Amino acid sequence: MADTNAPGRGRDIVIDVDLSKRTSELADENLALLEEHGIRAIDVLGSVGSGKTTLIKELVRRLKNRYRIAVIAGDITTRIDAERIEVEGVEVLQIQTGGACHLDGEIVRRALDRLDLDALDLIIIENVGNLICPAAFPVGSHTRLLLLSVTEGPYMAIKHPIMVRQADVAVINKVDLADAMEVDVEKLSHDVRSVHPQIKVVSTVARAGEGIDDVIDALGLSDEGEPTDGDDNA
Amino acid sequence: MHDVTAAQRIASTVLQAAREQEAERVERVEIALGAMTMIDSEQLEFWLEQIFRGTVAEGAEVAIEQLPLRVRCTECGYEGSVEVPDDPIYHLMAFAPDCPECASDELAVLGGDACVVQSIRVPDAEADGDD
Repeated sequence: MADTNAPGRGRDIVIDVDLSKRTSELADENLALLEEHGIRAIDVLGSVGSGKTTLIKELVRRLKNRYRIAVIAGDITTRIDAERIEVEGVEVLQIQTGGACHLDGEIVRRALDRLDLDALDLIIIENVGNLICPAAFPVGSHTRLLLLSVTEGPYMAIKHPIMVRQADVAVINKVDLADAMEVDVEKLSHDVRSVHPQIKVVSTVARAGEGIDDVIDALGLSDEGEPTDGDDNA
Repeated sequence: MHDVTAAQRIASTVLQAAREQEAERVERVEIALGAMTMIDSEQLEFWLEQIFRGTVAEGAEVAIEQLPLRVRCTECGYEGSVEVPDDPIYHLMAFAPDCPECASDELAVLGGDACVVQSIRVPDAEADGDD
């Protein structure tokens, strides 16, 4: 009928959806939901084997009498992390990403929907062991804790500047192995600060419980005082 | 698997728009990909092809426009693009751009960090000549 309706010619439909923006919107929605319930959320990031589960277990052990805690643990397929933390007696939701290399706002939202948010003060999110992809996918947390261990070698900070810049607290773990690994912990801390001058840097041997109190301080939490009743945010 | 996540989101955005338009086919998809998204355009294209199979977008032409990283330097005030080497190692391991004018790394990102589904082309609606 119309002259312009030639074969192969179609209508262009403008969509203009910014998917990266949607990614951060999802994170913002999660954060708003958490704040509505007076919950503090910490996103723990680190490579495979850096000690994320061990650190979280130690944090939970010291903080569980003060805060009502749940842990969201992301892993590709197994429940090993959840089982290790569950012995501390807090609720652990294991999210099996089924291959995805990071948690994102949508996955974490589904986990939040399964938790009784009115009965929680603190949620610790264990991201998938990977320092690259999670940098592009905020999940909606108040604090991003970056865990580097000396067994990963001396170049972790300068190799992952995006992640370092996004983190609020950097924990250098397994410092008891620094000599064996020929890693200079001072140099590594310096590298972290040179990429992100405002970041707090703490050293730990999480397996032995060393330095965990410093991590708690750096997170602005406390293992002393009265247990919270969840109404302190009202 | 990072690129799969991106492809899945793009595909669901495209297919939803196609449904809203009641389109029987999607002929072309236009995507703008920022240099800082760390998404590889060849992989993205490959995954979109796979995901679109069996849908109205099967065989659609995927046009990906690469957007440069645009920054403002908080030190010297430079505003403009920064070259991002086309090298995956650079993206993954050492992405820390410096100001081309004063070499400062205190850069505010103005653009080039987004992945935008810009438009889709669908066949003209029958007997609809006003386009």
